[in-house]
Amino acid sequence: MSELTNIITSADPAVRDQSLDAFCRRATLAELLVECAALDAFRRDSDNLYERVRALFFLYAIHRFHLLTKPGMKSSGLVPFAGYEHLLQRRFEEAISSFLGAQQEQGPNETVSSALAEAYHSLGFQTLADQVRRSVRTVRGNQWMFRMGHPSDQPLRVRPELLGRGASSGGGSDKTGFPILRERTPVRMDLSHSAWSDIFFLGMDFPEGARVLNVSIDLAVRGRDAEPRPPVESYFRVIDEPVLRLTSVDLGATAEITELRDVFDFAKDYLGLLKAAIIASGILPPGIEGSGQSLTDLLTRLVGPGLGIEVVSNVNDIPKGSRLAVSTNLLACLISVCMRATGQAKSLTGQLQESERRLVAGRAILGEWLAGSGGGWQDSGGVWPGMKLIQGVLAGEGDPEFGVSRGRLLPSHKILDDLDAPPAVREQLCDSLILVHGGMAQNVGPILEMVTEKYLLRSEAEWQGRKEAMRVLDDIVAALRGGGKPREAVHRIGETTTRNFFGPIQTIIPWASNFYTETLIERARAAFGADFWGFWMLGGMSGGGMGFIVAPEIKRQAQDQLQEIMLTTKNELQHALPFAMDPVVYDFGINPRGSFANVLTLDEALMPMGYYALHLPQWLRMEQRTLSPMRRAELQRFGAACRTRPELGGMNKVLFDRLLPQIKRDTARGGRATLEELLDRFGFDRAQHEQIRADLKSGRIGLAQNRMPASTTIEDVQRDDIVDATNEQSLAAHRQRGIEAIKAGEIGVVSLAAGAGSRWTQGAGVVKALNPFARFGGKHRTFLEVHFAKSRRISRQHGVVIPHVVTTSYLTHEPIEDYLASRDQGAAANSGVATFLSQGRSVGLRMIPMARDLRFAWEEMPQQLLDEQAQKVRESLHAALIGWARQAGEGGDYTDNLPMQCLHPVGHWFEVPNMLRNGLLAKMLHDFPNLKYLMLHNVDTLGANLDPAMVGLNMSLGACLTFEVITRHVHDRGGGLARVDGHVRLVEGLAMPREEAEFSLSYYNSMTTWIDVRQLLDVFGLTRDDLANEAAVTAAIRKVSSRIPTYITLKDVKKRWGHGQEDVFPVAQFEKLWSDMTWLPEVSSRFVVVPRMRGQQLKDAAQLDGWLRDGSAAYVEKLCDWE
Amino acid sequence: MKIKKAVVTAAGRNQRGLPLQTLVDRDRVQKTALRIIVEEALNAGMEEVCIVIHPGDHDAYATAAGEHARRLRFVEQTAPRGYGHAVLCAREFIGNDPFLHLVGDHLYLSRDEQGKPCARQLVEIAEAEQCAVSAVQPTRETMLTNYGTVGGKRVPVKPLLYNIESVLEKPTPTEAEQSLIVPGLRAGYYLCFFGIHVLTPAVMEILERQARGDAPNVHLSPALAEMAGGERYLAYEMKGRRYDIGVQYGLLVAQLALALDGPDRAEVLAQLVELLATGRDL
Repeated sequence: MSELTNIITSADPAVRDQSLDAFCRRATLAELLVECAALDAFRRDSDNLYERVRALFFLYAIHRFHLLTKPGMKSSGLVPFAGYEHLLQRRFEEAISSFLGAQQEQGPNETVSSALAEAYHSLGFQTLADQVRRSVRTVRGNQWMFRMGHPSDQPLRVRPELLGRGASSGGGSDKTGFPILRERTPVRMDLSHSAWSDIFFLGMDFPEGARVLNVSIDLAVRGRDAEPRPPVESYFRVIDEPVLRLTSVDLGATAEITELRDVFDFAKDYLGLLKAAIIASGILPPGIEGSGQSLTDLLTRLVGPGLGIEVVSNVNDIPKGSRLAVSTNLLACLISVCMRATGQAKSLTGQLQESERRLVAGRAILGEWLAGSGGGWQDSGGVWPGMKLIQGVLAGEGDPEFGVSRGRLLPSHKILDDLDAPPAVREQLCDSLILVHGGMAQNVGPILEMVTEKYLLRSEAEWQGRKEAMRVLDDIVAALRGGGKPREAVHRIGETTTRNFFGPIQTIIPWASNFYTETLIERARAAFGADFWGFWMLGGMSGGGMGFIVAPEIKRQAQDQLQEIMLTTKNELQHALPFAMDPVVYDFGINPRGSFANVLTLDEALMPMGYYALHLPQWLRMEQRTLSPMRRAELQRFGAACRTRPELGGMNKVLFDRLLPQIKRDTARGGRATLEELLDRFGFDRAQHEQIRADLKSGRIGLAQNRMPASTTIEDVQRDDIVDATNEQSLAAHRQRGIEAIKAGEIGVVSLAAGAGSRWTQGAGVVKALNPFARFGGKHRTFLEVHFAKSRRISRQHGVVIPHVVTTSYLTHEPIEDYLASRDQGAAANSGVATFLSQGRSVGLRMIPMARDLRFAWEEMPQQLLDEQAQKVRESLHAALIGWARQAGEGGDYTDNLPMQCLHPVGHWFEVPNMLRNGLLAKMLHDFPNLKYLMLHNVDTLGANLDPAMVGLNMSLGACLTFEVITRHVHDRGGGLARVDGHVRLVEGLAMPREEAEFSLSYYNSMTTWIDVRQLLDVFGLTRDDLANEAAVTAAIRKVSSRIPTYITLKDVKKRWGHGQEDVFPVAQFEKLWSDMTWLPEVSSRFVVVPRMRGQQLKDAAQLDGWLRDGSAAYVEKLCDWE
Repeated sequence: MKIKKAVVTAAGRNQRGLPLQTLVDRDRVQKTALRIIVEEALNAGMEEVCIVIHPGDHDAYATAAGEHARRLRFVEQTAPRGYGHAVLCAREFIGNDPFLHLVGDHLYLSRDEQGKPCARQLVEIAEAEQCAVSAVQPTRETMLTNYGTVGGKRVPVKPLLYNIESVLEKPTPTEAEQSLIVPGLRAGYYLCFFGIHVLTPAVMEILERQARGDAPNVHLSPALAEMAGGERYLAYEMKGRRYDIGVQYGLLVAQLALALDGPDRAEVLAQLVELLATGRDL
């Protein structure tokens, strides 16, 4: 038996919990390959789900991190396209077979291993997701809903109390309508930060370690709300129309649904959560999806002929990303109200019974799965009252999970009594804890994947971290008992949560922290001194919902101070980090009841105020006689309430504003004027824009037209087409020449920092260059800091000043300029690097995409298929976005967003010509008269530096442009180095005539380019002296520009609204790309293969962890000298 | 244990008229539903039958029972306090004896290989097992809201018998899935009452206790659930079908079932085919 399968199958925890890394470090390449074969055979044969999954993750880790470090492993290879297609289509087994075949054929190599790693990783998560899905469906109480296929199968009926209209039932007269059932639910906070042990996979494999301390709380936004109350509420009532009426007050959305299929269309509007609740509560059970049955028939079964159901959700304006599981608790609240209304809970009103709470939690998991979202198993904790210890449970006989996973899907909840947490300690905790929302809203999905992966691999440090986190929980539980000293107890809790944050949490996931959070902690500590008792991280990652624990006597004042500190810090960092909103401080209280329901009758039968703000204007515009009797009565009731109830006092103004058209000075008109202003300021070329629009609309340009003709031959390059610079020895010969050139001041650096890094923050419009993305030398550092640090090191080594240019665009110029200014003031020791800013002079205005291009991108191009339900949601979203493009006007200007989000940079081709046009090159040549070569690189190519050997090599090649390329990994999509009809060129992915063509290419463009300044000027037909002549430069640039192809691309752009809500829209923009310089015959180009760590790019924050683990971060650190 | 007495409940507000409806029985004789039910009891060996009726229904029921009227005892349920209360009204009649109980709005068709009527099958089982037995029928979860439902496990080596552990009246499928799943039944099927029970006098004591409480209504299912906790109580998977004549088209379906089970099967089928052939959709 192989050693690794033995680790997986061992019953002895000491063996089972061994780290994979330890084994791999000492194994040779041949031994690892033998283990891989054994693991692959094992995972195919094993009946045990978790053993299979662990084997898959072992295989992933070996291919991703270990094989490539072993002598004898080839760096270059080819990924078979057929395998890649299988991968995209989630046919992972087929993909693995294809890649293993390629490995057999080509010999083990990094390229194929990268594909195998991806396939094993995806299959591992798919297997886990399938198991959770199966468990969700087999939870007792959920199964029947998947067997319903016809309205006459519907066994549920709305309870008679909600149908009674007469005065006898408390519902008023026959025409005043039906009673309203209202459910109010607190949200939950996780007092321990569970080291993410509430991830389903973890709880199901390691129930002993899955424990959290979960507190149900009421909330108020400080300065806005009078007192804390349950933040989420839902309403259910019968209506006198045979429709399903859904309203989300907080998202301002409402719909009257008459077709069954629309209920299952989750992304069509903002009502996905309500729809998921309607389905998961069994009102419209999941089994009926796609049955083609009528919604009216179903409603008739549920409530009777001619009647319908209305469900309303309302969130007390708690911003998204609060880490308080607002959306899961809202879902649970909605499910609970629907279950009560249909007799699935014993009591219509009051608290729920324990078995009912568990059922609601199970249904909430089902609802989240249906709507394609996800949460942890503690998230519906708000349904329970007070404080509770939630823990994983070993699956026993009779559980659907028994024999499949070690733990159950649903944990157990132990509500803490007065002995476990005396009232004095609870009170003290409330008096000391300041809950805040820092303003950042981030996707925690990648973090949860990392946690699962590290757990399954039992990586040494992380596994120790997890054990430590378990001790932290024990300490907090012990502290809560108080020992008669509540003040000391809370102080101790503060120390423990702080220890947790800086210890186990960051050991497991370094990315859980960020520069913003740590600055806040530092400043809070400085401001409150000894009265600062601790920091407490809530949920997935920091920056959003967080807690600060302080001495109770300063809490009020500290709340104000913290608000100030957060706002100041946010303003300082707003260009560097993705903030969704201004920071908020909450007031909170522990909720002793959990989810609680009331029936509202007679004059009390009113929906929340926001509901009327949404519906009333429409009702008032209608003829009174066309309103149903019930609605007329409701209008009267609401009118009466407005006159008598003080809390409805503000309604007059709200309605007045909604009814009468108004000019939105602050947003619409002001925004448009600013957009015009910006376009003027940034040199927007309207004539060119109109030309592009006309071409786009007429179909002359577009995604399909980006491609080269189908007859183009694309082949891999030959050995002579490239220069291999991966071998240290062959480079050594060039080193001396390079050193001399550096010392002579012949070399400069250009960092391209004009882009917004769309993938880095999913279109949040942050300046990527200023993003403090990782810790180096003990501090969070920005991309730009790293690039300067590399230049500084070269400068110090050779005793010269290195000119270092940062190119900017309309989006990045001011923030980078401010950053450099503050940095120069702060760091006088910044000698050795002369920084220059090259301001971009080109800007484009984004356009609403053509439906044709959206279809091409989503239907013609190979797309990563998602998990079944998530894919369904995505397809629904795509249909909605195509609808949006048509409705908003295809090819029209995209102006419905913040002005800066409507503009776009026009591609990196322009960045070097900009240096000519804005006079920077002339200035540099003046300041550094010996300057001959520039190394240009992307902001995310962190390994690129002025390595003297590379400098010397480039000089010896003597080309105008020398491009650094790297061997391809499976994710390196977007073109590569190719022989195009016999000529060696860099081909952009957009231009590939066929998808599969890219897969025959061995090398990927790193974008790092060595530029021979004199030869480049020749290409533009300019001399050094011409640089002073702006007209000549502009004409020269235009001439070359006209020969560079224009690509149409789709970019995701975020639109923020409400309280931290974000929508992502695909918009069309055009760009010209630097690598297309290789197509100009007068440009002599050479191509050098460099080590992957030098040339790889960090495009996506989800890559960070792998980048840290595979040694890339250490590689970069070695190149740097910090100030 | 010998069972000689039967109790038929027919006092429900909406079911009073049902036993008076006339149908053609399998033997081509026109009978009221009441008479068919009474014959079911008599064929099971009952010597006395008690009908629990709504006050004032005596004469109509006596007429409907025809030749069997003299073997019937009528007891009036004076207040509409639920199904359990109706059964309790017969307490004096049953005294300390076990009894057969049938509901007045169901008709039964046996599928026993030897042609044993449904009530007879149950009485024989109860006498053999010496305990209370309720007839049940595996029923799809969508119908649960019409019936009392039991949860339990099979009695070893007796394939049609189950030990009852819990009883819920008209559960939602959610409740059923959580507490009434019976190992060995098809997924989505539960054991629902067939409408025939052999009960011991213990149930009367429980019902009486409930009746003394504050609740306005007395239900049978909670009493049966309590009984299951106190004494051996079995469910018997009846070889037969029940027809609820109280639901929409219930009487029609019951009549068709009776007719198709008798010598006129071919004739009834022919008429049905003709109806179908001249239907509006064609």
